[in-house]
Amino acid sequence: MSLVLILLPLVAGCALFLLPRTDRMLSRAIGCMVAAITFFLPLVAGNNGTFAAHWLSRPFTASLHFAWGGLSLWLVLLLALCTFCAVLATNMAQTRTMVALLLMLEGTMMGVFTARDILAFALFWDLMLIPPFFALVGWGEHRETAWRYLIYNFSGGLLLLLATAAFGVIYGSTDVIGAAAHPIVGGWAPWIFAGFAFAFAVKTPLFPLHTWMPATYADSPPPMVSVVSSVQSKAGLYGFLVITLPFMPAAMAEWRWIFITASLISLLYGAFIALAQNDAKRIVAYSSLSHLGLIVLAIFSANPVALQGAVVYIVAHGLFSAALFLILGYIEQRKDTRSLVRLGGLGKANPKLAGAFTIAALGALGLPGLAGFVGELVILTGVFQSGYFWPALIALVPIVLASAYMLRLLQGIINGPQVNDIPQRRDLTWIEGLAVAPLLAALVALGVYPYAVLSSGVAAPSGRYGISSGFTRHEVMGAPSFMMGGAELGAERRFK
Amino acid sequence: MISNPYTSQDWIAVAPLFIVGGVALVVLLADLLARKYANRYVSMFIGIAGLIAAGVYAAYSYGQPPHNAFGGGFILGGFSIVFEEIIIIAAIFSLVLYSGIGREDRVAGSTALMLWSTAGAMLMAGAANLMTIFLGLELLSLGLYCLCGLADRPTAREAALKYLILSSTASGFLLFGMAMLFGATGSVTLASLVAPGVGANPLYWMGGGLFLVGLAFKLSLFPFHVWSPDVYEGAPLPVTAYMSVVTKAATLAVFARFAYAALPPASTHALLMPFYIIAGISMIAGNLGMLAQTDMKRLLAYSGIAQIGYVVAALAGGTQQGVRYAIYYLVAYKFMNLGAFAVVALLSTDKEEGSRISSFHGLAHRHPVLAAAMTFFLLALAGFPPTAGFLGKILILSVNVSAGYAWLAGLLIAGTAISVYAYFKVIRLMYDRHAPRAQEVVASRAPLAYVSVAICLVFIVVMTFYPYTPSNVLPMVK
Repeated sequence: MSLVLILLPLVAGCALFLLPRTDRMLSRAIGCMVAAITFFLPLVAGNNGTFAAHWLSRPFTASLHFAWGGLSLWLVLLLALCTFCAVLATNMAQTRTMVALLLMLEGTMMGVFTARDILAFALFWDLMLIPPFFALVGWGEHRETAWRYLIYNFSGGLLLLLATAAFGVIYGSTDVIGAAAHPIVGGWAPWIFAGFAFAFAVKTPLFPLHTWMPATYADSPPPMVSVVSSVQSKAGLYGFLVITLPFMPAAMAEWRWIFITASLISLLYGAFIALAQNDAKRIVAYSSLSHLGLIVLAIFSANPVALQGAVVYIVAHGLFSAALFLILGYIEQRKDTRSLVRLGGLGKANPKLAGAFTIAALGALGLPGLAGFVGELVILTGVFQSGYFWPALIALVPIVLASAYMLRLLQGIINGPQVNDIPQRRDLTWIEGLAVAPLLAALVALGVYPYAVLSSGVAAPSGRYGISSGFTRHEVMGAPSFMMGGAELGAERRFK
Repeated sequence: MISNPYTSQDWIAVAPLFIVGGVALVVLLADLLARKYANRYVSMFIGIAGLIAAGVYAAYSYGQPPHNAFGGGFILGGFSIVFEEIIIIAAIFSLVLYSGIGREDRVAGSTALMLWSTAGAMLMAGAANLMTIFLGLELLSLGLYCLCGLADRPTAREAALKYLILSSTASGFLLFGMAMLFGATGSVTLASLVAPGVGANPLYWMGGGLFLVGLAFKLSLFPFHVWSPDVYEGAPLPVTAYMSVVTKAATLAVFARFAYAALPPASTHALLMPFYIIAGISMIAGNLGMLAQTDMKRLLAYSGIAQIGYVVAALAGGTQQGVRYAIYYLVAYKFMNLGAFAVVALLSTDKEEGSRISSFHGLAHRHPVLAAAMTFFLLALAGFPPTAGFLGKILILSVNVSAGYAWLAGLLIAGTAISVYAYFKVIRLMYDRHAPRAQEVVASRAPLAYVSVAICLVFIVVMTFYPYTPSNVLPMVK
């Protein structure tokens, strides 16, 4: 079943190239249908849709093993939803090619999120870089951006590859994601962790490795960037949660101050830069840096409550950043600019657009009742609970700043006097509205009922942890099973 | 009455070589008779049929116990057969490119020369004796000297002359090294080098060093690599494709046999370490060299320098898995490279304009299928999934890590990171939206190359998900 999630979008994406170059409607219809199927399939199929086939027996055991459950199920759903919305919102010169790239991106990322084998994970990890690269080549404003995206991320991917090889040699098998884990030990463990962590930190991105991100987000066409920012950036966090946390807890604990510091710098730096930017897309890009820093902080605090908050916030951030980028795309299409200096007074002429934008922006600044709030609250509670008083306190600052830059964005575009010299165009069409409605609805639904994510597979912490000093074995052993949807997974591994 | 010292089994061991060499004569005869008809295809098909026959015949011996033919001159075993098959398949894929390139009256001669070269390469695959190694190498090289010059371009003659002079120099090194090794052991068989006392003799160290320098030249590893871009650029396209795989595969076979089986255990590490170091440097130097190229053949030459560095890295540490993964990666490299050359051939006529990188500008708009195929081959060379290049790198990395050569793994990663830019530069050029749309479509004259592109694509993907590596391929000398 899980193989369908991967192959259907990939095959459909390739098949779209058979359509005429100028096609606009049929390709979008097919794209939406495929995305809808991939969304409902895991819900209808129920169980975790395991597919497993032997791949390598030497130098280590590896299998093409895919399944969904727990966190990976949520990411699969988020990915399918974001792809659906992005395909629906695609309206540009070469719609067919864009939709094809979006579907291929979906297929490759489905592979990342359903892979239960680190080698398969690494395979799709590299593969998912290709569609955004082509999007940047085809539509990017600057030539360098595509290079920056590719070289940064592929360097991460190469270190991931090296770490995977070393992990496999030492552990004997890479078919381990979500299975009962025993941490790897020995002098190699920190180096393997470093390889994984570099790849994940580039992808997330985390402070000193983030420089590819604002340019990529600003240059990519809106449908592509909405999926990349909302889902692809989660691949790094997902990797931290399912690979390094269960298997390299000692190295993670040892190095946690580096990452906590980097995440705090990301939080503050992203927020301050977002305050000073004038390019609307870059504001959202830097806010993303800030928000994802919070999740990294939660992961490295290794507190079960914070980890749960991280899972909620991963989904929430996916929803609002996808919505924000799609809506900014609409605005750019209408006004031919995304500079705050040039924009203003959009609310009067385009009330529906303004309304959608307001909900998304409020979600991003963490308004109670929307999903972002729940994630931030739970994360901060958990971080505080595990004894990181100062990090929790510092992390509060950018959350306040988020209100400042998001409201500045909102005011700059929606309120204020109408700018006369930019063209006034029509409000959202119904297709454009339909493209962001599911994201906003999910944002509200998850804000009102976060228990959906908190409870399903991502179980409540089983016990009091109190103030934890680093990582204990007990916590770590708990982590994979609650992250991956229960202990039954172990029984389903067919290949040794 | 002098009794024949060689048994029929000895002759069976080298029969594939004789088939290939003999078919070359048939090609020349058929060319005489078929002058009036499409002799291009007559020569090609006879040549390919002969190669297939030799390949099938060689495959029959696979799995049988190894046989020491001609008193240890040629060893038939899993190792030599696998390398023979690699060489034969590469030769077939190169011959196919003659369907669109080269003057009609030269195809027969080129085919015959290529077949003789192939016989030499096959001899190297099984050679376990200094004399047979040199015999095979010279047979391979002599054919190539002529083949390099067979095009109506000044650069072709330059390439031929350059290759002749530099390659002869390298052969001199090799021969001098062999002479010293002979001096150290009193025997020309590789098996006699294993004697433990040999390591005390300075002649052995000098001889081994010179021998390895000769091999490094043929493999175009780092300080001995500068000839290969020039020669690749000047040589006719099928010959470039041929050289990029066959010369390297045959030399690797010799090196693997020497490194794995023919050295006294105590001195293996010290003697081979410099070789692995230059392989590591080649990964960086080759990939850096790619960055500035404007000609596809030169780009692939530099790429080959790095890729062979990866293969040699797999052999570091002398593990049994190492030789299996080296073969895996070599096969993957063969299909990636020959596929890329086939695309270049499809864009070329006799002037080989397809080898200019500028001719790839906007290819996706003119010929989307070829652009997609080329993208795929370049992705494979860069080590992107889902290609055998990706899995091959994982295998090499894992064998390096487990054999204690983690620094080679690090260099491999660094080299690959550099190479991404060079490969993707071509990809970006193909999909450039600012490319002039009105460029004329080059009418392909190499229809058979489409077939070879398709076969290479299939193999690259299938090898990723069914990574079969034969187990009985340990090189041996006795």
